[in-house]
Amino acid sequence: MVRIRLRPDLTITLVCAALYVGSAAQVRSPGGGSALSLAAVTIAAPAVALGNAVGSAWEDFRAGRRSLAATLAELGRLRGENAELRRTNQLLGAEVAELRQGSALLAAFPSLADHAVLARVAARDLLRTHSLRLDRGSADGVRPDSAVLAQSGLLGRVDRVLEHSARVQLLSHPAAAAAAAFPGVTGEGLLVGGDSPHVTGFPPYTKIAPDTPVLSTGSEGIYPPGLVFGTALEARTEGLFTVVPVALAAHPSEVTVVLVLAPATKGPS
Amino acid sequence: MTLAAAFLAALLLQLALTASRLWWVLAACQPLLLPVVGSARRFGPVGVAWTGLAAGIATDLLAERIIGPGGIAGAVAGAAVAVVVRRFEMEGPLYWIVGSLLAAACSETAWLLIVVTLGAKPDHLLLGAFATVAMTGAAGLLVAAAERLARAWRSPERRRRRVLRRL
Repeated sequence: MVRIRLRPDLTITLVCAALYVGSAAQVRSPGGGSALSLAAVTIAAPAVALGNAVGSAWEDFRAGRRSLAATLAELGRLRGENAELRRTNQLLGAEVAELRQGSALLAAFPSLADHAVLARVAARDLLRTHSLRLDRGSADGVRPDSAVLAQSGLLGRVDRVLEHSARVQLLSHPAAAAAAAFPGVTGEGLLVGGDSPHVTGFPPYTKIAPDTPVLSTGSEGIYPPGLVFGTALEARTEGLFTVVPVALAAHPSEVTVVLVLAPATKGPS
Repeated sequence: MTLAAAFLAALLLQLALTASRLWWVLAACQPLLLPVVGSARRFGPVGVAWTGLAAGIATDLLAERIIGPGGIAGAVAGAAVAVVVRRFEMEGPLYWIVGSLLAAACSETAWLLIVVTLGAKPDHLLLGAFATVAMTGAAGLLVAAAERLARAWRSPERRRRRVLRRL
């Protein structure tokens, strides 16, 4: 018995040669192979389906990411717009509040309105300098020593004027002073400012009921007579005078619009 | 067994990459050449050539082309890869990248030459060949990266670090 033992390198060469011949035969006689084609398609079908599923998933993922990015961009834009609208709304609200306060102020003092300047409070320092900064100045007719009035009462006087702004010295300023009187009480006293404003200068043991209004008399030449500084608290006698602590009527922290009266204005509202 | 599994996986991948919903360039990739490259670590040039022959015939069958040129081209590519890898003692990522590029280039060149000598009209020319080489090289790069990651994951240093962290 003859045993043929081929070397692997020779074998593969022979196989390749055979394949080449086979290929040539296929080229020369096209056609056929339909069974092979069918087999190939059948084998390939699941893999192709899997590939398509992966491709679809990837496309969906990309589309989802795209719409997510677009949605997030839209959300960011809307958030910005919302913040802008909120700011605008706040500003408009502040404007409306100021307008209301100004209208109320003018309505409260109709006789003073003709000779007064309506001003907005631009800045305030109530603890250190006890002052307000107004947005009206000499160009608008504001003069030094003009009385400044809020709806609930007097605030102070203008102590410095620029062309388009003015500074108000509040009645809570330690150097503030004004002539004051109580209705039904003879004579007048001196309202002294500071952390605890009080009226002094009345004779000892003068009877002044608590909650009595403290009114301006105009003797100092700044405040028109008859305007409210505040209300009296519990009076006491100190030495030669009766001292009456005063609760100021106007709260500078809440005031946004004030009436700056002309220095020459006289007469109560 | 591992080679057979890799061969089967590569075959399925090669079929799947022709799916219409995937990026069309991916269809130029020949993952079946990667097991051929991988077998160069285990077999000599003749053994790798046999693997290449099988891969090439499978490609011919599935692509519904003339059966034979792909097999011969695969055998040539396998032998060339085995010779080069041994000659230059390639290891690591270079082995996969150069191996896959070389396998694709040899396979495409040999296939084109064979088809031309047979007097048949090739279904693709230089552009297709370049795309095949590029995509197969990219697949080799991916395999190299995956192998590197797997090695790093299974490395004794990592195990030691994990043990030390637990102490």
